[in-house]
Amino acid sequence: MGGRDTDIVLLDENGIRSDGRKVNETRKVTIKAGVLKNANGSAYIEFGDNKILVGVYGPRDVHPKHMSDTDTGILRCRYHMAPFSVGERKNPAPSRREVEISKVIKEALEPAVMLKEFPRTAVDVYMEVLQADGGTRCAALTGASVALADAGIPMRDLVAGCAAGKAADAVILDVNNEEDQAGQADLPIGYMPNLKKITLLQLDGVLTPEEYKQCIEIGIEGCNQVYEIQKKALQDKFFASGEKQ
Amino acid sequence: MSDGLIIDQLKKNQILDLLKEGKRVDGRQFDEPRKLTIDIGVIPKAEGSARARLGDTEVVAGVKVQPERPFPDTGDKGMLICTAEILPIAHPSAETGPPQPPVVELARVTDRGIRESGMLDMKQLVLEKDKSVIGVFCDNAVTDHDGNLFDACSYASTAAINSCKIPKYEMQDEKPVKIEGEFIEPPITTLPVSVTMAKIGGFILVDPTIEEWGIMDARITITSNSDGNVVALQKGGSDGFTQEELIKCAELSVKVGSKIREIIKQSK
Amino acid sequence: MSGERKRHVIPGEVITSGSYRAEQNTIQVGDNIVSTIVGLSDIHDGSVRVIPLTGGYMPKDDDLVIGKIASHSSLSWTADINSCYVGMLPASDVFGRDYSSSSDDMTAKLAKGDLIAARIVNADMTRDPLITISGRELGKIDSGELVKISPNKVPRLIGKRGSMIQMIESSTNSQVTIGQNGLLVVSSEDPNGLLKAIQAIELIEEQAHVANLTDQVNEMLESKSE
Repeated sequence: MGGRDTDIVLLDENGIRSDGRKVNETRKVTIKAGVLKNANGSAYIEFGDNKILVGVYGPRDVHPKHMSDTDTGILRCRYHMAPFSVGERKNPAPSRREVEISKVIKEALEPAVMLKEFPRTAVDVYMEVLQADGGTRCAALTGASVALADAGIPMRDLVAGCAAGKAADAVILDVNNEEDQAGQADLPIGYMPNLKKITLLQLDGVLTPEEYKQCIEIGIEGCNQVYEIQKKALQDKFFASGEKQ
Repeated sequence: MSDGLIIDQLKKNQILDLLKEGKRVDGRQFDEPRKLTIDIGVIPKAEGSARARLGDTEVVAGVKVQPERPFPDTGDKGMLICTAEILPIAHPSAETGPPQPPVVELARVTDRGIRESGMLDMKQLVLEKDKSVIGVFCDNAVTDHDGNLFDACSYASTAAINSCKIPKYEMQDEKPVKIEGEFIEPPITTLPVSVTMAKIGGFILVDPTIEEWGIMDARITITSNSDGNVVALQKGGSDGFTQEELIKCAELSVKVGSKIREIIKQSK
Repeated sequence: MSGERKRHVIPGEVITSGSYRAEQNTIQVGDNIVSTIVGLSDIHDGSVRVIPLTGGYMPKDDDLVIGKIASHSSLSWTADINSCYVGMLPASDVFGRDYSSSSDDMTAKLAKGDLIAARIVNADMTRDPLITISGRELGKIDSGELVKISPNKVPRLIGKRGSMIQMIESSTNSQVTIGQNGLLVVSSEDPNGLLKAIQAIELIEEQAHVANLTDQVNEMLESKSE
């Protein structure tokens, strides 16, 4: 978390942020479902300047066998950043940050994915960040849900991701990289929009109890907006071009 | 990613029978590569990038440029390092974890093809001799695997480096400082292009698909430069090539390579 | 209320609420019946299901499937049935109850790579699903080309009362054995007919969601082969 000195004006007197947004506005989000040939399901998401490619394989056999569970399928997630995705080139080997984010995203998806339908198998979710600009875990989670639906993995609900935060003493929605570096708090949220449950929640920074409430509220609002884009991605792939039957 | 893809005997015989009639499974000629499309600038924040689609194989290459300390024995040259990895999204058998020998080979062959060609004049990428030079990193990420990753990575790398922008650096107080908003054109001397050929039942096939790769007896990847000279070679697989075959392969690689070079040039 | 208009749904979307039975690909959440996949909701006779538009093959009891023999132990064969689960064919299904034999007998009947038309007997997923080849129209398939399509395109390939597949078979002089698991075997005396039939099947796989698919397939079948 930043709080770094910056020349950039995070919030001007008209309530406009450094990239022209208002405090409760998310960046532009576009999602395309079914973009890879080999993966069982896939999605490509652009969330502001974040560009993330997600591929899903499964349900499939588990190797080594002892890792499988006779009662339920297992979910495995890998969040990984390409070396060219960030300002200073990143070593391709997984960092501790990537390991943690992989776990947090897995636990955000598990409540939604109906793993008990596939005992003894695994569902693998691979999220590749090709370009990063703050809020990658929320964007990756958002893309992962679409890729899982594209693969036909049964889910109780989709999971949408969006971060709330605080910069220049104001509560803001969808923190970008600059705001993350120089701002005061970053609260990534993962949310199941129909079941109305939060499945990913982290905080980096300092919030008063009132600000915390506001962040959750505005964050859920952001997730609901992102959910509409997820819906559209699936509709565009499966329901477009002519009514079936 | 295992090199030993299991293709059943039935399929192998089918492919061989077709080859004896002069046909390939996807209808291509023996010396015909698949359709190649190249899009540059797909990762705008990187200093250079390109996505290469060779048939259904897809690779994204990103170029990062940053100041580095030079290697001890080449203080008068900048640094150029190419890598490659097969992302687990690319194929059901692609693994995570430390790279297996086939992936290490892919990365090193890609690197040699670009470096040995002298594509970038490294002498022009020095900030202060023996102290500070410009490091150019070209990292390839395979996102979809349908065979012939050697060539897909070669084309993505060449296109990405060819279209990259090198930020301007100045030495201030013994340290390299980036001058925001100013760039220099990369010192490109040539465009290396690799062509990979598989040998199956005595037939030489350009740009094998993953099926052809799985049953081939041997393969060779030959990289040529803009002058039609051969700059890098790698033979793989468990069978051998005759002298005549090797000469034919080199000719094919220059011929096919020059057409691919045009596509890369057009992409900029 | 039955016969409600079919709707496009995605996971988590509420299809309807009230006293309905939640059937395939749906779950009950409070008062609501919710879809668990991307598909078409179908309300019929007080029950709600979703017809999938995506996903691999999940074995179901009584499904007719095409399998490819992968290996065998002394007691059974395993068959690839295009699913994350492998089909188990007990030796007794082929040899009878008092079976006791050596490995040779097994391979003589069914060898690795052989294609079979089988039925799912027991799709309990805590073990590999049991299959049988004793029954009418079941057994080893001697000739033909194996084609793979996405399992949820199978209904489209069959067509209303079999109309689509019959059109392909008659116009190309071929026979197609269709497995619910998306594996099919196409055979024909005429190699050109065989190729055309396979092309028609691939067209359906690609364009299954399009309204005028029947016309497209018709057109393709009637055009001269190049």
